[in-house]
Amino acid sequence: MKYTYDDEADVRTTTLIRVLALFFVGIMIIAATTSPIATGTKEGERAPALEGEFYNGSGWSDFNLESYWDAGWVEGDITGQWVAIEFMDTDCPYCVQSAEKMAVDANDFGGDASSGWDGAVVNFIASATELDISGHDSSRAEIIAFRDKTAGEECASSDCGSRPGAAHNFPYIDDLDQENMKKWKVSGTPSYYLIQPDGIIAWSSSANPGENLRDAILTLVPRESA
Amino acid sequence: MDSNLQLMLYLIPTLLGFLLILPFGRSLVTPLTEKYPSLASERGRVFSGLLLTCLAGVAVSFQTLWISSKISEGGNFCASNSILSCDDVIGNPEYNTDPIFGIPWGGIGAFVFCVLLYLVYSSSKEPNADWVSSYLKYGTYITFAGFFVIGMLVYYEIQMEKICQYCTTAHFANIAAFIGFYRLMRMNESKDWNTI
Repeated sequence: MKYTYDDEADVRTTTLIRVLALFFVGIMIIAATTSPIATGTKEGERAPALEGEFYNGSGWSDFNLESYWDAGWVEGDITGQWVAIEFMDTDCPYCVQSAEKMAVDANDFGGDASSGWDGAVVNFIASATELDISGHDSSRAEIIAFRDKTAGEECASSDCGSRPGAAHNFPYIDDLDQENMKKWKVSGTPSYYLIQPDGIIAWSSSANPGENLRDAILTLVPRESA
Repeated sequence: MDSNLQLMLYLIPTLLGFLLILPFGRSLVTPLTEKYPSLASERGRVFSGLLLTCLAGVAVSFQTLWISSKISEGGNFCASNSILSCDDVIGNPEYNTDPIFGIPWGGIGAFVFCVLLYLVYSSSKEPNADWVSSYLKYGTYITFAGFFVIGMLVYYEIQMEKICQYCTTAHFANIAAFIGFYRLMRMNESKDWNTI
């Protein structure tokens, strides 16, 4: 049997093997030296940006969620501050109903020593949007009235001052243009997220139907007595 | 090592490769032609420059992919308050992956430069094979298509008001590679391919 040596095939095959080896060595180095975390709104992913202007009781100023993150936080560290975000609409009846729970949770877990909570501080934030539903006509004045529980604006067909629960003491972000809501792929309100101090989403209401934010905080946020 | 100093590891080979690709590359390598005879011919110089450029493109793309992975962990590599801040560009989740498959731009760059490296490396090894003209055309088309991607990424940088110096080096390598592939394609079409 006669064997022939094909120079052309050899050149292309050898070259391909060398370049492929280079490519895979590069990929292996990256895989060995990094642990990339995807950005998204699923549990275990890094929380996307949440930007805009927020009202904290005294006026509107710039908000950036990234300012809350502590890259050096390690699991179990009680000194790291967690973040609980509620995506809501001041004209959404369920959001009005849950305002009371939010007020209680923010007081219980927000670092007030008299609350009896001995765990890490949870910072509450609300992102107020205006859903594309008939009758949902919100404004900054309505967001202020909802948060401070003051009269004169209508929240879900009732006066904002008559909504259940106490006035809120946490910031409300203006997301009337739905920019943050779309970025976070929020399909309905209210939606809740509990985020670790390092910016990783620990819990979301959409992934845990039937569970509420309070239960998630009690389960996931580290405490001294645990 | 300072991130801008580290960038020189990729920028210098890219610039050297680009100079070899250009028509006046001969004057730069005249002292080396005795030791490296392939540099004596125009074709050999462009092949060498193109190999160097594509290798630098592969390396800087992998570095960019590594940076984007590190930033996703919560770390930083080249964050700066100045306009040159690759962390702000590569770490921006709205722009740092392709809009169709969600693959990091560094990964796409590494793959494309590996394809270009394969095309130019195999062509340089067997310049008279009948497939070489096709390979040089593919290289020209791929690098030309890269101009549209570069345009989009530069638009993103304008939106963010930040420049990623590592990405810009990869963009420059693509432009240099286009010139190299185009020059080789034109040389290959001429009857002087073996005498240039």
